[in-house]
Amino acid sequence: MIGQFIDGPLWSFSLGVFIIGVIWRIGSIVLSGVKADLANPKGSASSGAFRTLFTRFVPERTVTRRGKLQLIAGYAFHLGLFVLLFLAQPHIDFIADRITGFAWPAIPHWAFIISAEVAFAGLILLWLHRVLNPVTRLLSDLDDHIGTILVFLVMLSGCLALAQSFEPLRLLHLLLAELLLLYFPFSKLMHAFTFVMSRGYTGAAMGRKGVNA
Amino acid sequence: MSDPFEQGVEALREQLDAKVASYFSSCVHCGLCAEACLFYTETGDPRYTPIYKLEPMKKLWRQEKTFWGKLGTSLGIGKTLTEDDFAKWETLVYDSCTLCGRCSMVCPVGNDITYMIRKQREAFSVAGYAPEGMKEATRRALKIGSPMGVTFKTLQASLAHVEKDTGLSIPIDQKGADYMTLFSSMEIVNFPEYIESIAKIFKTAGVSWTISSEAFEATNSGIQIGNKEAAAELVGRVVDAAEKLGVKAVVSPECGHAYTAIRWEGPNLIGRSYDFEVVHILELLEQLKSEGRIKVASRDDTPMTLHDPCQIVRRGGVIDQPKELMNSVAVNFREMEDQGVMNWCCGGGGGVSANERAEELRLQVFTRKKKQIQQTGVDTLVTACANCRIILEEGIEHYEMDTEVISLTELLAEHIQEE
Amino acid sequence: MITRIESISNRLQRISCGGLLLFLLFYSLPVEVLAETKVNRDMPSSAVLNPAAELWRDVRQRESGSKGKSQVRGVDSGVLINANGDRWRKFRMEQLIPVGGSVLLGVVALLGIFYMIRGKVLIEGGPSDRKLFRYSTYERMIHWFLASIFLFLAISGLILLFGRPLLIPVLGKEVFSVLASASKEGHNLIGPLFMLAVVLMFIQFVRRNIYQKGDLSWLLRGGGIIGSKHVPSNFFNMGEKSMFWLLILVGSVIIASGLMLVFPVFGQGREWMELAHVGHALGAILMITVIIGHIYIGSVGMEGALDGMTTGYCDLNWAKEHHDHWATEVIEKGDDLSQAEVEKLEGSSLPEMTIVKLQESGK
Repeated sequence: MIGQFIDGPLWSFSLGVFIIGVIWRIGSIVLSGVKADLANPKGSASSGAFRTLFTRFVPERTVTRRGKLQLIAGYAFHLGLFVLLFLAQPHIDFIADRITGFAWPAIPHWAFIISAEVAFAGLILLWLHRVLNPVTRLLSDLDDHIGTILVFLVMLSGCLALAQSFEPLRLLHLLLAELLLLYFPFSKLMHAFTFVMSRGYTGAAMGRKGVNA
Repeated sequence: MSDPFEQGVEALREQLDAKVASYFSSCVHCGLCAEACLFYTETGDPRYTPIYKLEPMKKLWRQEKTFWGKLGTSLGIGKTLTEDDFAKWETLVYDSCTLCGRCSMVCPVGNDITYMIRKQREAFSVAGYAPEGMKEATRRALKIGSPMGVTFKTLQASLAHVEKDTGLSIPIDQKGADYMTLFSSMEIVNFPEYIESIAKIFKTAGVSWTISSEAFEATNSGIQIGNKEAAAELVGRVVDAAEKLGVKAVVSPECGHAYTAIRWEGPNLIGRSYDFEVVHILELLEQLKSEGRIKVASRDDTPMTLHDPCQIVRRGGVIDQPKELMNSVAVNFREMEDQGVMNWCCGGGGGVSANERAEELRLQVFTRKKKQIQQTGVDTLVTACANCRIILEEGIEHYEMDTEVISLTELLAEHIQEE
Repeated sequence: MITRIESISNRLQRISCGGLLLFLLFYSLPVEVLAETKVNRDMPSSAVLNPAAELWRDVRQRESGSKGKSQVRGVDSGVLINANGDRWRKFRMEQLIPVGGSVLLGVVALLGIFYMIRGKVLIEGGPSDRKLFRYSTYERMIHWFLASIFLFLAISGLILLFGRPLLIPVLGKEVFSVLASASKEGHNLIGPLFMLAVVLMFIQFVRRNIYQKGDLSWLLRGGGIIGSKHVPSNFFNMGEKSMFWLLILVGSVIIASGLMLVFPVFGQGREWMELAHVGHALGAILMITVIIGHIYIGSVGMEGALDGMTTGYCDLNWAKEHHDHWATEVIEKGDDLSQAEVEKLEGSSLPEMTIVKLQESGK
């Protein structure tokens, strides 16, 4: 009975909250508005915005030197998670069945496993860094920790259910994923969407000044 | 009349635009901004982490714009912004930040932290939580016209010396001249050779130029203390003078924040664009050189290196000109590590040089610049900002180094072909 | 620092290891073959021997272990019945699980008794007010990364080994099957991360774990238990170095056997898999035993032991007592810090200027 609830109404509810919440958050940011810049520009704002959106993926040299840990663990986690979330067969099947109606080619099983391991390593190292490094320890708040732990639990429950033979394990994974979807719009996890805006705004401002930021 | 703190909070509230909202929404507390900040890397104190300096602004944003903040407020729990926050954060906001902009360049989610610090200073200055030295400088600028108290009379005395030494006459209040130039008080008082240099260069190049007796001050203390009314007043004087004289362009001198003030913030402060253009002296010099109006006659083979002023290069967009001018005149130009857009701050920008309380910290973090200079192995440091110049000289003296600091414009002036 | 209990438990492990190996050796002797043929001789000569007896003897590979041929391509596909399998199963059920379990419980019990008698070993002269920098952020990260992975693998592995006798009676078969599947999947996925963690640990700490002058005498004096209390040591004492090398060597066995078990695609047959299983289990039980001691010392066993690995700084008196040579070097260089300096670097105190400013404005 719990299973039916998790598979049915709670899924629809959490997906709905996620979609509406994300749109609401993005909307409220944009609607706060930005004052027009009256200074004579040296370069283009839109190309600056577009440019910065992509160049910030490439770490700046200072970061490569002093922030190696965040860089390596950060990319390991994000890339591993992205790959396993969107390119692993069980997830593609789920998304095709419940959201999009269409599927796409999956990566081989061994690639799924490796990306999961990379993602785990990255996440654990990142969280340890957050707790042990004085700067991140000073900055971090409850939201950061809850977000990390929730994502970790979703990943762990998924790993435990990998045999795909036991309903309780699959339902636990789905339940945790639904809790994550519910938490998402109210948390720092929104950076997954808002980073486009923050990079864009800065890129535009710097682009107008003729600086490649 | 609400108390200053309340006014400060209101001023802060006005700063919460879409950019600020996106920045606070995206910051995942990764700590990389600290690795770019001079004040953190040279002290190891995590409280100098750039985004941490913005805790007061973040508190207000969270309280008033986020779900959890609004929920907390309605339930009467959670952290609210208090006057104590302003008191505790004053030194972080003013003593340990020069608005240098390195943090904004490295943030993985693209946050312009410098932009936010500038905005947070609006609240702090209104609430009265700004360093005494900077408050005094701003008062003098508004009342007398210069943060160092330099009047037109003082400038005239300097100009008289220049005219005597060069045999040139310096045009004052010349209507219809092409360029109106500004000076920073720092140059007038400490480095008047700059005035001599541009007089010579403009004569050689046949540039029609003038100085306004009503508005010659380039430095904008309002920008540094973070007060838009003061900043607008100071910029407004320059704009009015320039438009009264009907010049084509205003030349911003070797002063970092002056360029930011007149070129980028000015139109937004006064609410309209100008009837003239703004050009930095280095941009003008490079233009004159490429047009052939000035020619380099001799070159200097002294080994030298270049300090890129933050507000001109990284935050100003005058990136290529300093290097090109150096290369045209210096045979032995040795670039420092991190030369160019990511060069390290001298430690004196953003009003820190006017803040006596911050002197100890400023000298402590000079170790970065010291390391950069020593790595090049040269004894001559060239720069294009009078404030950087004085700060560099102080740091060099403090660490008993043997480095000479010279101005790029002066260096050029020594080596162009005279008519 | 290795305590007497550590050295006793090490000795115990050595005995049990040796004992198990002896058992294994004993089982490899064809004792059963002798028994079988004995039975045959008791049959009446007039009885017709099972005409397929020869065939079945070959199939069971009692004597020669001959392999047949099969159309099925694969390792061991010509072996119909693996005689060794039963030996291995008996070893696992009758030796490995009971003895291994006793060893683990025994260590916990012994440590409990030791703590009740001896209590927490305090810093001689009490803690000082000065600190030494011991472990960087990166080093602490690697340690806790390895620790968390080890803990997860240990627990999931123990569920897999001891689940049937210990957990099924408590949880029932259905719940246990879910738990077992989860443990297996988790253990297999996280396993390779243990390899990454050990490699990182090795690279970072190998330099400080090379044998130095004074290590042997430290060991012979039992780390201070025998003879005079004060036994000087370097950054790591011989006990810690021994544990490091045990981790690397036994850990390598665990990793190699683990990889063999989780990737049965490299031509290893059933015998290799059985060996890998035994090696994996023995290695793991050994490591878990040692780590139980490590956790004991690092937490409740000794005052001041945990600080270095959590905060990065250790107490000066603790350092002088347990790692004298290293502590002296640091102090001579003037690198020791006050509590206030540490707090500044941790960001847990306000910057000086802020304090001055607040004092000025009377706050």
